[in-house]
Amino acid sequence: MKTLTHDQKIQIYIGVFLCLNFLMWFAIRHSQGHWQNVPPVPDKAYAALYGLGDKSFSYRLNGIMIQNLGDTGGRFTPLQEYDYDVLAQWFFLEDYLDPNSDYIPYLVTYYFGGVQDVEKLRPILPYLEMVGERDYKEKWRWLAQAVFLARYRLKDFTIALRMAKTLASFERPNMPGWAKQMPAFIQVAQGEKKAAYSIMIELLKSSSDKLHPNEVNSMKIFICSRVLEAEEARNNPLCVDIVQ
Amino acid sequence: MSFPLVRYVLMAALRDKLILSMFVVLVLSSSLSLFLASSVITEKDQFTLVFTASSLRLVSVLGLVVFVTFFVRRSFDGKDIEFLLSRPISRLNIVFSYVFSFSIMAVCVSLALTLALYAVAPHLFGMGHVFWLLSIIVENIAMVTVAFFFAMQISSAATSVMATLGVYVLGRLMGQLLGIIDSALVDSSGIYAVTLQVVSVITPRLDLLGQSSWLLYGYEGNYFVFALFQVMFFIFLVISAAYLDFSRRQF
Repeated sequence: MKTLTHDQKIQIYIGVFLCLNFLMWFAIRHSQGHWQNVPPVPDKAYAALYGLGDKSFSYRLNGIMIQNLGDTGGRFTPLQEYDYDVLAQWFFLEDYLDPNSDYIPYLVTYYFGGVQDVEKLRPILPYLEMVGERDYKEKWRWLAQAVFLARYRLKDFTIALRMAKTLASFERPNMPGWAKQMPAFIQVAQGEKKAAYSIMIELLKSSSDKLHPNEVNSMKIFICSRVLEAEEARNNPLCVDIVQ
Repeated sequence: MSFPLVRYVLMAALRDKLILSMFVVLVLSSSLSLFLASSVITEKDQFTLVFTASSLRLVSVLGLVVFVTFFVRRSFDGKDIEFLLSRPISRLNIVFSYVFSFSIMAVCVSLALTLALYAVAPHLFGMGHVFWLLSIIVENIAMVTVAFFFAMQISSAATSVMATLGVYVLGRLMGQLLGIIDSALVDSSGIYAVTLQVVSVITPRLDLLGQSSWLLYGYEGNYFVFALFQVMFFIFLVISAAYLDFSRRQF
């Protein structure tokens, strides 16, 4: 048999490795990386390591990661497939890294709050509640969002009412009157119209001089058209100018 | 201090196109941060500011350390140091002139960084930026001093850079590492924990400096002056060690 030259041997090696590459291409052409769901949450003690000791930088890096979770290799994962329990742990960790930012609460409310399986909202409500209770700028609005999610999406009136009462108890500058009226809104939906009436009347008595006249009128309309029955409204002096 | 020597070092920085390359890196890092931040759904300006500050902080240290290390190694290899020693200038003067020149560069780079932060989000500029700038100046001076020390000690420029960056990363992470010891996640009386405690005594607490949260919410805390002094004492420690070695060296 003819002896192969050095160059011919190399050409054979190239040919063999090219064939092996071709075979491997067939084997993995349609394979894609599998998303392992929401990654486990590190301990608070390690949390800032990602940003080389800079908490705020870690917060933003994690924030982008959380926003883009599930988007891998051109594929998108429905929110209902996310592990919301682990996700909630990430939110709490993020709050530890930057308690002042509104980025994660925004993401939780307007993005993750849109999950199709509403039961998945339960673990994230305590996070929004915690953020909303913080007396910093307009944080109270995240508690209002939590009330909305509990009332209208989860339809858990007990949780919604508890959070609404917490919200109503706040004395925050620039917090509008409707935030104080939220317990009444929920109690009306629950059929507890007497309790709702008491709250609204109390609110009118205590705050009507501080509220804009339009808001006071709106409260009266709410009482007369939603809280009171038609007969009750006709006999109530509050509704004289409103009920025809 | 020898001002002709200071001028010589600064001219070398200009010749090495350090200013130009730092400017290009500044623009590229800011652009990349703007791009990254444009993908978030809210607080885009805050993201831009934090990403720009954090990336430029790292890049500026890298640029300064690489320049200082290679410049000092070149001075040894090119017999510049031996030439200087033959002149009527003391070894202490040489060390101080070098450190002073590198510190001027560190200040200039830190100012350029803060200007870049102002450019990407002018409406967020406040007192927090001033605290950030002051601490970044001290951090950069600390790192050029460490780079100078290692470049004097180690004949390989690449190894010197690695050693300096090791000190930098350790300094940035020291707060977290000490936090892990305090959090009872590890045995705080174990050999590793005790070793780390000892190392932390002579490690600059860079994690307490230049926090990007100051840029967003202003400076919060009461450790700023202590942190600055801790790093400044560390700088003098390194300068002393560099001088001690240089004064004993035979040429």
